[in-house]
Amino acid sequence: MTRDALLDAARRAVRAAGGEALARAVSERSVTARLARSQPTQATDLQRARVEVLCVRDGHTGLAIASRTDDDALAAAARRAHDAALAAAHAGPGDYPGLPEPAPARGHDGFDVATAALDPGQTGGALAAALDVAEVRGVELAGTWTAGAVTEAIASSRGLEAVDAVTDAQFKAVAQAPDGLRGYAARAAVAAGAIDAAAVAAEAADKATPPPGAPAAPVDPLDGAGTAELPVVLGPDAVADLLQMLGVLAFDGRAWAEGRSALSDRLGERVAAPNISLSDSVRFPGTLPHAFDPEGTPKGPVPLIQDGVAHRVVHDVRSAARAGGGATSTGHAISPGGAVQGPIPRNLVLAGGGAADEAELMAPVERGLYVTRLWYVNPVRSKETLITGVTREGTFLIEDGRLAAPVRDVRFTDSVLRLLSTTQALSRRPRLVGTTDFYGPRFAYGVVCPALRADGFRLTGVASPGV
Amino acid sequence: MLDALVDLMDAAGGRCAYADARWVDHSHEALTVVDGAIESVDIVDEEGVGVRVRVDGAWSFAATQTLSREGLQEALARALALAEAEPRRPAPTPLAPVAPARGSWRSPCAIDPFGVALEEKLALLLAADEAMAGDPRLGRRGAFCVAERAVKAFASTEGAACEQSVVECGGGMVAVAVADDDLQLRSYPSGHGGDVAQAGWEHVVGLDLPAHGAEVAEEAVALLTAPPCPEGTMTVVIDSEQVALQLHESIGHALELDRMLGYEAAYAGTSFVRPEDLGALRYGSDALNVTADAVLPGALGTYGWDDEGVAGQRTALVVEGRLVGALSSRETAGAVGLEASSGAMRADGFARQPLVRMPNVSLEPGDGGTLADLVAGVDDGLYLQTNRSWSIDDRRLQFQFTTQLAREIKGGELGGLRRNPLYAGHTPRFWAGLDAVGSPSAQQVHSFTKCGKGEPGQFAHVSHATPPARFRDVVVRAR
Repeated sequence: MTRDALLDAARRAVRAAGGEALARAVSERSVTARLARSQPTQATDLQRARVEVLCVRDGHTGLAIASRTDDDALAAAARRAHDAALAAAHAGPGDYPGLPEPAPARGHDGFDVATAALDPGQTGGALAAALDVAEVRGVELAGTWTAGAVTEAIASSRGLEAVDAVTDAQFKAVAQAPDGLRGYAARAAVAAGAIDAAAVAAEAADKATPPPGAPAAPVDPLDGAGTAELPVVLGPDAVADLLQMLGVLAFDGRAWAEGRSALSDRLGERVAAPNISLSDSVRFPGTLPHAFDPEGTPKGPVPLIQDGVAHRVVHDVRSAARAGGGATSTGHAISPGGAVQGPIPRNLVLAGGGAADEAELMAPVERGLYVTRLWYVNPVRSKETLITGVTREGTFLIEDGRLAAPVRDVRFTDSVLRLLSTTQALSRRPRLVGTTDFYGPRFAYGVVCPALRADGFRLTGVASPGV
Repeated sequence: MLDALVDLMDAAGGRCAYADARWVDHSHEALTVVDGAIESVDIVDEEGVGVRVRVDGAWSFAATQTLSREGLQEALARALALAEAEPRRPAPTPLAPVAPARGSWRSPCAIDPFGVALEEKLALLLAADEAMAGDPRLGRRGAFCVAERAVKAFASTEGAACEQSVVECGGGMVAVAVADDDLQLRSYPSGHGGDVAQAGWEHVVGLDLPAHGAEVAEEAVALLTAPPCPEGTMTVVIDSEQVALQLHESIGHALELDRMLGYEAAYAGTSFVRPEDLGALRYGSDALNVTADAVLPGALGTYGWDDEGVAGQRTALVVEGRLVGALSSRETAGAVGLEASSGAMRADGFARQPLVRMPNVSLEPGDGGTLADLVAGVDDGLYLQTNRSWSIDDRRLQFQFTTQLAREIKGGELGGLRRNPLYAGHTPRFWAGLDAVGSPSAQQVHSFTKCGKGEPGQFAHVSHATPPARFRDVVVRAR
């Protein structure tokens, strides 16, 4: 659907709803192609649209979503949203403070015309280039190429009218060497043309290659012990996993207001090393920008941790009202009316440091771990930001400042804020790590971050006994 | 709509090795009450068609919401174009044969949840929330209910033409207690997402949420000051719900044949189980008997046919500790020489292509009696109840779970609350420690509605029938 058609649908939905209402019309087109065992397996071409209608009645919200944009469908959705809000209002006044007043949203450079064309030939070409590299390197390749274009139009009874369009593309590769060692690499960008699938495959193949002189079999970094603490160099993908989880556990303004956040009563305190400056910066170079959130609030930069000191949390309309003290939405709603789980930052940026590259980060480490990526990360104790997960596809022992041997994947159980408190150095150039798996409607986001070195990474077990 | 799909498949027949098409008309309703206020009333209606084609040995898929003849033909053309653009398509392997699905199937539902007034549902949730209220240490309390209806039609180039209609309904509640550096929670009737069944509103009424509010809130607050969980290697009795999650993560996913074959290596992962382990691998003790059951009444992984037209069925996976079966599709079954698919292909709505997803994977009851009987067999150990968090490696081998609470077991009796229990293990070693499984009367059905897999991501709904069980030599830590 065109921008004009989407805006027209949003306007018609607001008119159909009557009273205080907001409508958000979104169209998605995307292509995803998967590889396994060096062959294409599943490819998916999606074209879909939806219109979200939010009615506000006496401090209550009702949200209805339709998948068609004809007048009948919009009227039905508006009626459902109205009835839902009215049913809630029967129980007494609610605490939703009302739709935000219109405010102009700044533009961004998050749309690429060529990517939006979603040429199947480009998808096939990317896969072919990656497979060629895998063949030359003698590894088996699994991977996923995806590109998408999302356009959204939003209108409200307060007079808000705005349109945004974004594109994104991602390619990730898992290379498996004949000896079973696996390596991972991935890149994400606004433009598909910015992703060199062959280079990504080559990087994955590198990670599946033991360092020179390494033992034939992966080593156990715990040396048979149940737990261990080691210096660690975390690659950008691993850092992004940690920060994504921190975004939920620490910077959700709703949880903060309810005392459930790791930063409740801690804003203004030192929570990380002085070299840690973390923000949500929707227009930072390399990120995946969006102009406004699903409530129509323009998105702008929010400093979260500055020089190691906790600074702010993010809000949607409801969480800001609950927080009080003059708080306003920072443009971080997950859905119109706000999601029950609260707002979260989706454009995290961790400022880079002084190390030229990962090799320089490793140089001072006598014995430690290098981690490419983490997997199945979940909270253990949320207020402590204590989380657990395992390493996957590219974990190495560092000895005497260099990669020495591949290691068995390990489980870690550690606090994100503790790791950031012991961060000794960061690499100079942050890069975008795509952190969405595209469950539900496509909404691309990611973390821009460098690699870092921290002390005392807490390992609590060896994962797979193989590699 | 079925006729349109059949016509589309007639048109697809000469253009690819195989094709199928699914129409899904899906409605979803979610109501949430938080801290005495109605937080959200969300209603979703979505309808569309997904067309899947097999060209050589690769699958391509296109989804559309344009349901005219032209719209369906255009979706077919997009799927074919995507397939044609793919490099190095594998040679076609035979799909395991299946008789064309014909007919219709409908899940049980006594009271249509979409016919119940929103005011009535909200009143129940407000009553449940109110029952938890009172203690200032509660940082949040909440109650919720959900209802889903999916009407589906399916046709294939092999002559399948069938229809299904499923209604799901459920609800739950949670209390979160907070102190300076601590957060404890209790929930009912499960750790995540409440309890959902293929049923109508009668299922939510039967949960009787308000009656459990006081206990949920009291236990959440009590956990703030409970002693820490002891550490060590010990005997644990695990409640039925946590056994369900343990089973889901360390057996259900591990036995998905697409993972075993490496097809999911780029995302969800692989499996420590190899296809050649079928019939040979010792998965656990003799007490371990596991069945995939897609005909379990009222469970979320129950269906007339899976999303490639294979009839729902019961499949033995583990018998007396030995691996005997796997969860398969027509393609994966054909790849390893099985005679037939186990009927485990499911898709999350019209806009996703089917993947191997577990139906209801259940732990068969044993002769261990009741929960009290299992506890009575422990001189010094722990009782672990209600999942709080979970993590397992990409080969489904090394796991670490926490539960909302533990209780000490001394001399065969349950003792006081213990907070922050965490246990970890390796899958076959852990299941080798299974020494008693509760009897049929102790078995309960638990639901999960956020089981993720696939790219683009898909959520599956599934249930597990599990009794409580007892495990020896389990590693328990504080963190």
